Amino acid sequence: MIFLEFDFLRYALIIGLMIGVVAPVAGVFVVVRKTPMIADAMSHTALTGIAFHLWLASYLVWLSEWNPLYTGILFTFIVSFLIEYLRRRFQAFQELSIPVVMASAIGLGVVFISLADGFNNDLFNYLFGSILTVNAADAVVIGIISAVSLLLFLLFYKELLFLAFDEEQAAVNGIPVQRVNLLFAGITAVIVASSISILGVLLVSALITLPAAAALRVASTFKSMFLYAVVFGETAVLAGFFASYYYDLSSGGTIAVVSFLIWTIIVLAEKVAGQRRQRPWKEAKWTDKANQ
Amino acid sequence: MEDSTKTLLEVNHLSFRYESELVLDDINMNINQGDFVGLVGPNGSGKSTLVRVLLGLHKHYQGEVRWFGTPVRQFHQWPKIGYVSQKANRFNAGFPVTVYEVVAMGLYGKKGLLRFLNRKDKQRIHEALEQVDMLGYKKKNMGRLSGGQQQRVFIARALVSDPEVLILDEPTVGVDAASAQAFYERLSHWNREKGITLILVTHDVGAMTKYVTKVACLNQQLHFHGTTREFEESDLAGAYGHDVHIIHHEHDHHAGGA
Ligand SMILES: Nc1ncnc2c1ncn2[C@@H]1O[C@H](COP(=O)(O)OP(=O)(O)OP(=O)(O)O)[C@@H](O)[C@H]1O
Ligand SMILES: [Mg+2]
Repeated sequence: MIFLEFDFLRYALIIGLMIGVVAPVAGVFVVVRKTPMIADAMSHTALTGIAFHLWLASYLVWLSEWNPLYTGILFTFIVSFLIEYLRRRFQAFQELSIPVVMASAIGLGVVFISLADGFNNDLFNYLFGSILTVNAADAVVIGIISAVSLLLFLLFYKELLFLAFDEEQAAVNGIPVQRVNLLFAGITAVIVASSISILGVLLVSALITLPAAAALRVASTFKSMFLYAVVFGETAVLAGFFASYYYDLSSGGTIAVVSFLIWTIIVLAEKVAGQRRQRPWKEAKWTDKANQ
Repeated sequence: MEDSTKTLLEVNHLSFRYESELVLDDINMNINQGDFVGLVGPNGSGKSTLVRVLLGLHKHYQGEVRWFGTPVRQFHQWPKIGYVSQKANRFNAGFPVTVYEVVAMGLYGKKGLLRFLNRKDKQRIHEALEQVDMLGYKKKNMGRLSGGQQQRVFIARALVSDPEVLILDEPTVGVDAASAQAFYERLSHWNREKGITLILVTHDVGAMTKYVTKVACLNQQLHFHGTTREFEESDLAGAYGHDVHIIHHEHDHHAGGA
């Protein structure tokens, strides 16, 4: 393929493919834990970090050497721990911790934006992202983040599954609930922030939630849910990449739309297939071998 | 066997309140190895709360709770204790897990961090499913089972780590009478043959007394704690048989008035 002779396109494709794995994998846990808003909360917090960076960079020149996204990652990281803390502190209203943190973070972000005299072009790019603006350094950083995240997901697979399914029972079985929750929040924060370069702040949650939501409908085992989510996610990423290169369309927008189409096709296919599998209401009987 | 009356659980002067409401008031009880304890009491009497305190899920209690001699706050050998909560089958039915995957979770705590299940563990999962007659369902999606079948899977999950104690909070709710009967038989069998210690929370007083060896009647305070014989001879048994409202004159049966 001719276009791969251009370095920037190669990096774009590599980064896209890596994000296409880790974002949907994180998404599987996000979706089964029933906290779909967390991706949005974190990506908006990253924008706050970016705005903070741009404002600060107008005073500290050396800061402009840095990619503002790294400050964004730092912010999401902090906020993910804050959300976990609030979830724990106000257990009866756990679900409020995300909107509370998200609204505050956006508010703070807007203040930074006005301090950094308004909404400039830079910021606009982060809002919508573009797969074609990435460079070699981004590819390395995102490569490391992806590899470490996947490794951690693999190593803590059991604990993450148990916590998502039944947090109380996990605690009774001696799983270190709090530490595993923090770990998950941290990994998700970093994945969200790294996805911003190709998806943009507004659309990160599309690649996290939609492929997993579609996978939820077709997977019968938990393990297979990852496979489906990644296949759907990569399909969307490739579509975004080509749409962006050949037709100059927004990569984030295309990824979101294609993810939505996949989800729609699956839901419709389920409808068409009609007769959903019958529930096996027949009760198993306790056999009598205990009574001999 | 060695000392067959080893005390597994000691509860001394245990009190617990949610916010301001006193739910458990000065509870004292001991549970020995091999006991099959029926824990009864009306709705809201604190049975589930007591169980949750025993499991270390509520930490701000007063008094003393010891498992195997260790205070519950310092206790770490949780795989020795299997638990099926009253809310077990109120899980998210859309969660794409198989019966096998759910039972496997029961081994996760015992395995510890950074360790994966091996062949022996897989064998153990099969055995646990067999013990509840659900092996044929192992690849089925959890959300597609009936309530009673889900309950069995959760029991298998509690059994899979080979616990010494099994705590079941109203496991027979929504189970038909014949199945409940067979279920009690099975529990009794595990208790006698495997020496597993059982704590069974139930409202099914009549059926339960046929199988348990000890009864504990709770209504904020522990009104009775003793053998099934003593329970049947007390007038609490009658009261529970007709109506789960606790009676206030537990000392009366000493007077022989009943
Ligand atoms: N999370 C909670 N917060 C505040 N109060 C609670 C909570 N859970 C239970 N309670 C109160 O504690 C008391 C005991 O509840 P518990 O669930 O232990 O009763 P129970 O004996 O298990 O009842 P049931 O037979 O209905 O299961 C009740 O009055 C209840 O209102
Ligand atoms: Mg209860």
